[in-house]
Amino acid sequence: MRKVSRRTFLKYSAAVGATTAISGFPAVLRAQPPEIKIASIQPVTGVISDIGIAMRRGNQMAVDDINARGGIKSMGGAKLKLLLADTEAKEEVARTEAERVIKEGAVCLVGPFLSGNAMTIATLCEQRGVPFVIDVAAADDITRKGFKYTVRVFPTTSKFAESMLFFMDKIMKEKKISKIRGVLTNTGDLFGRVQGATFKKAIAEKKFPIELLAHIEYPLGIQDLSAEVSKIKALKPDVLFPVARPGDAKLMIRELYKQRVELQGIISPGSPGWYEPEFIRDMKALADYVMDNVPWYNPLGKMYKEVNAAFSKKYPGKYIDTNSGYAYLGVLVIADALERAKSTKADDIMAALKKTYFKQDLMVGLAVTFDQRGDNINADTAMIQIIGQSIKVVLPEKAAEAKYVFPMPKQLWERGV
Amino acid sequence: MNLNLILQLALSGFLMGGVYSLIALGLSLIFGVMRVINFAHGEMMVWGMYVAYTLLLWTGLDPFFSFSVSAVTLFILGYLLQRTVVNQILDFPEAMQVLPLVGMAMVFENSARLVWGPDYISPQSRFALSSHSIGFLTIDTPRLIAFSLAVIFTILVLLFLKKTDLGKSIRAAADNRLGASLVGTDVNKIYAICFGIGTACVGTAGGLLVPIMPLSPHIGAPFTLISFIIVILGGMGSLTGAMVGGLIIGVAESVGPTLLTNLFQGIGLELEFPQTMKQVVSFFILIVIMILRPQGLFGGKRG
Repeated sequence: MRKVSRRTFLKYSAAVGATTAISGFPAVLRAQPPEIKIASIQPVTGVISDIGIAMRRGNQMAVDDINARGGIKSMGGAKLKLLLADTEAKEEVARTEAERVIKEGAVCLVGPFLSGNAMTIATLCEQRGVPFVIDVAAADDITRKGFKYTVRVFPTTSKFAESMLFFMDKIMKEKKISKIRGVLTNTGDLFGRVQGATFKKAIAEKKFPIELLAHIEYPLGIQDLSAEVSKIKALKPDVLFPVARPGDAKLMIRELYKQRVELQGIISPGSPGWYEPEFIRDMKALADYVMDNVPWYNPLGKMYKEVNAAFSKKYPGKYIDTNSGYAYLGVLVIADALERAKSTKADDIMAALKKTYFKQDLMVGLAVTFDQRGDNINADTAMIQIIGQSIKVVLPEKAAEAKYVFPMPKQLWERGV
Repeated sequence: MNLNLILQLALSGFLMGGVYSLIALGLSLIFGVMRVINFAHGEMMVWGMYVAYTLLLWTGLDPFFSFSVSAVTLFILGYLLQRTVVNQILDFPEAMQVLPLVGMAMVFENSARLVWGPDYISPQSRFALSSHSIGFLTIDTPRLIAFSLAVIFTILVLLFLKKTDLGKSIRAAADNRLGASLVGTDVNKIYAICFGIGTACVGTAGGLLVPIMPLSPHIGAPFTLISFIIVILGGMGSLTGAMVGGLIIGVAESVGPTLLTNLFQGIGLELEFPQTMKQVVSFFILIVIMILRPQGLFGGKRG
């Protein structure tokens, strides 16, 4: 018989130990893991870091709150541990970062703001068999690929377009407007493109009385919109329908002011840029009357009030909005699935996720529940408007905090800023 | 074809081009003297913007005055960067010179994110919303002021290089490093001053841009790219080239897409040249110039 020397034995046991440590193998075996790793993957640096950081804060605060309430109770009060990943708003980085957190033992991924990034991560999670919960990324296509490991808490671009036309119909009927001549603008990333195109398509399909005079696209992170706004001015539209991001939203308002573009309204089919605290802080009265069709917080919700109070206390000057709100909700959905799955195996988590019926009053819309594709069928949007430099829900009427103002009573340059 | 629109676009582009020129001037000066490409150029511009913004926040000083503080701050920053990093890599092969400066770009961007936060800021300043109409043309006041100050600053830098002793030493060191040190020039010091002047140019441009565009830590990189295009277009190391190149690119990016769309429709094609692809216009001009005149518009034999 061959003798196993002490050295060989040590060598092999070290190798086995290292392999198990890297693969996270014991976490699956143990009945009551002390800690469950999930990963927040968001564009925390790069062109959209402002929103990326808000999202990461939403994810992290939800994890902290769940742990403070005693962790995952069905698994012996196992605590959640949030691994942090940064996509830098780039698809290739999104992939390597997702790969890294999976290797570090994340049993489920949550994120990201940016549809392009979400698509890459969803593809990777499908290959690796790791559940992926999309908190904010709207492009329809992501859930049209038949991915088995991806669910989305956020509404799709089709849902956005549908509600937008519902709200526009209401406004036009009430104000007895038979036709609107508009210009559509969007950023050139995946979300911006799909959001713009879906809105345009919905108008054409329903023969909705909005005539789009032009569809202007510009790159994400643009720093000069003078040429685009000159074009808008030359077309003399009634309403501008912008799909924007925080930087270009401000740039757009200032250019519209300086070039004296007369408009009856600025109504976004659904995009960030128009509701962040910085927009109102910097634009002051110029921010007024902007409307945006977004998945908004539920102003009457008990959960919203608690979460928002804690969030604004921790991050002075900030509040829960579309992005941080859905980031928080995404983690709650994962925790709920873990609670019911009583396991950290991918297939168990996925089966539990598919059966989700998570009641919430954080965001507008009913309980989170997924269809065959993995889309949350109860995700909904509200029309918000900035009135007197604060954000009000104006439509649908049952959730309205104020009556919408349309057309704008004063042009941008008549507001004494 | 809407002539009014084209003229309006040309005007905004021209005014913006003046600021581009100043940014490119800094890059060209640094390259012309040290043969190093400052890949942290745009990120340093963002620091110039934040300095002017901070002064506006604390003292209420308008960016059109406080840009001088940005210039001085960036001069010091550039001087120190040359002394600590750039001076070590002067004799490295070109490919190896790239990495430390790209690394510095990341350091600048992310330290700005740490200090000032990630959010877009559009501070209220006196001229931010001002504009004038002359006939059908709208003249954007902050752009006009930025353009004028950028041109004045550019002329001052050129005069400094031509007329002063220090300027002459810089040109001597650029022409022949060994020769200059043989006649007693402290080349290292001259290089550091020159790098400082280059970054002061971009700091000034940053200050001037505060009333025009929202600031955020990541916005620098596209400016590095655009100034790089301008410098190659005008001729590497040629200061006149940088000025003219800036104006050309400014106008071309603004007017190009609309003009091309009109051209397509003129020959019966229902095509639209999207505004998103305006950089295609700049790169196209660059390629054409590279084919016809590889040394750039104003590049001499050395280019």
